[in-house]
Amino acid sequence: MNVRGFCGSILVLCGIASLGCNAPGKPTAGAEAVRPDEVKNFSKLYSQNCAGCHGADGQHGAALALANPVYQAIVDEGTLRNVIVNGEPGTLMPAFAQSAGGMLTDDQVNALVSGMRSRWYHADAVQGLDVPPFKTDKQGDAAHGQQVFTSHCASCHTTGVQQQNAKASSITDGSYLALISDQSLRAIIIAGRPDIGHPDWRSAQPGHPMSDQDVTDVVAWMASQRQKTPGQPYPSQP
Amino acid sequence: MSRIKRLYNWFEMRLQLEGPVKDAALHPVPRNTASWWYVFGSAATTLLMLQIVTGILLGLVYVASGSEAWKTLDELNHQLYLGWFLRAMHGWGSNFMVAVVLVHMAQVFTFGAYKFPRELTWILGVFMLLMTLGMAFTGQVLRFDQDAYWGLGIGASIMSRVPVIGGALVDLLLGGPIIGGATLSRFFALHVFVIPGTLLLFTAVHIWMVLKLGINDWPMPGRVVRRNTYLQEYHELSHKDGVPFVPDALWKDLFFSAAILAAVAVCAFVFGPYGPGGQPDPTIIQTAPKPDFFFLWLYAVLSYLPPSLETPFVLIAPVIGICILLALPLVAGEGEKSWHRRPVAILVLVTVAVSWGIFTHLATFTPWSPIMDAWSGDPVPPKLIHDASPLVRQGAVVFQAKQCRNCHAVGGSGGMRGPALDTVAVRLTEDQLIRQVLQGGGNMPAYGKNLSPPEVTALVRFLETLKPDGQPPAIDATHQEQKAQNAAPQQ
Repeated sequence: MNVRGFCGSILVLCGIASLGCNAPGKPTAGAEAVRPDEVKNFSKLYSQNCAGCHGADGQHGAALALANPVYQAIVDEGTLRNVIVNGEPGTLMPAFAQSAGGMLTDDQVNALVSGMRSRWYHADAVQGLDVPPFKTDKQGDAAHGQQVFTSHCASCHTTGVQQQNAKASSITDGSYLALISDQSLRAIIIAGRPDIGHPDWRSAQPGHPMSDQDVTDVVAWMASQRQKTPGQPYPSQP
Repeated sequence: MSRIKRLYNWFEMRLQLEGPVKDAALHPVPRNTASWWYVFGSAATTLLMLQIVTGILLGLVYVASGSEAWKTLDELNHQLYLGWFLRAMHGWGSNFMVAVVLVHMAQVFTFGAYKFPRELTWILGVFMLLMTLGMAFTGQVLRFDQDAYWGLGIGASIMSRVPVIGGALVDLLLGGPIIGGATLSRFFALHVFVIPGTLLLFTAVHIWMVLKLGINDWPMPGRVVRRNTYLQEYHELSHKDGVPFVPDALWKDLFFSAAILAAVAVCAFVFGPYGPGGQPDPTIIQTAPKPDFFFLWLYAVLSYLPPSLETPFVLIAPVIGICILLALPLVAGEGEKSWHRRPVAILVLVTVAVSWGIFTHLATFTPWSPIMDAWSGDPVPPKLIHDASPLVRQGAVVFQAKQCRNCHAVGGSGGMRGPALDTVAVRLTEDQLIRQVLQGGGNMPAYGKNLSPPEVTALVRFLETLKPDGQPPAIDATHQEQKAQNAAPQQ
């Protein structure tokens, strides 16, 4: 090795270090770990608490896509906050707030809600469209719901015994229905899952968007398919 | 005579250092000891000096109090000009010092340099190694962050297991039964006065002996150390085929020391200071504290030991280890020095080094420990569920929400406590999956009481999709047989 060159490079390094400019090792402001309950950064909170089920960027996850603009358009902030705080009954969504046994403070829940809204809520997503409301008090008509299913859903989904692939997969499987609430079914039917190619309320059957009543009835019909003892491993055997 | 010369003579007449210094500098050493293998001791001394200088500078700012320590480190990192670089130099200097001391020790062992007449040099060296590790540990505590806090807690609980005097030892170490205000003061005193003072004294004696006894000659197969002939042989070797220590041997020491200092500076510059990590607050439970790298092996060993062996191991093994190291030159003070003729010694060294490396490596990613936020933080790989049916998709949600992911990795992320499940459908049939989930087995707890039948069904449907493309799923041969039997009568 060229000794003079080596010493020279050390001198240069020391020179840079003494200037302190752009040293890769220099701690950035706030580099020290803050208390976990003082983390207010949305990206950090989301990637620690939500990404597991809802996907890295609010999509392509196992559970509902939070980055879906239609979903963000029909849900309000109060509902989002309530679901994070208390969980969603009838589903696997757990409660995250300290008040309900979770690890997040109220401020952190607010940071999550406002972060989601600022990133994924677009005011014009459903502007001028007749979109069914997120919640409804109407009673559904299961018989009509089955007709709506046949016209809007049956091109992809089947009923009865569960199939393995997405095309022609059953949505009346007892285990599936036991793990999802009516409200979640309604949310998926209206908002769809654009990230995985599931249409929303208007494009399931092109030219014939589903009405509020249609959605309510399909959900009512699916709810009527729930089993008393779902999830038995050998349903077909005695 | 110039003024400077007069001044020099004034001091020299009174101090009379010229003779001893000249003797030390120019004493002949065997030609082949002027080797690159003989530079680690001086490098360790250089690093000790670096630690003292940087330590004094840090001591100007650091406040050894539970409430202030973390703040002063934060101040050093962000508010004081080059404070971060100072902390980084001290932290990396510590790492390098432990490493160089270990390498020095391994080299001395390999070269048989602990044999007659250098037994005491080795014994002092063993104590210096312990003190270096003591400096590293107490230094880690002074960085009073979460790692320090819990590392201290583990140190104290190891102490507390000493029979009879355990409680008193903990009181002595922590200044009370728990980590409190007095604890940090004690560790400050240990780290700044007690251990370095002793270490400097030992270093002086260690170097004194190296100068007086001469640098170990290069081991040659067949050149056997005997107590009654060695001194004569060494004298001949160093005078007949010797070179003066300065400059023939020293320049390599100087060069290597400079290179080590440069390496410390580069590491400090590139990687920056250590922490401080999170604040040392025991109410923060979302933490996975880890010791610094020189104690990672111990962390791994303790994690793998069955609980019943912990106390015997932590109390007996170190004592035996230290006794072996201390007794080594007394038991094996004569004989062959060459590694060509000491196969057992070399095998022992290699075994220790490889084990140390493996345990250290394991401790960097703690495969024995679940990752407690994988369930909510590690997304299910999108390609696994992009074309999945609604039930399989719900199964993936069960997999996350019921925290299977904390122990089982999928797609390269998740815990490593249990096996990765990317190919589980090739290994286990549906029935075996259901049984494993419900009843557990191996290291896995039974989840039968924590999952509803729909949850188990959905989960198993999801697990059944986890296989590489083109590989058939695991099949139950008895099912095939039964099907064949059922089909046979109809034909």
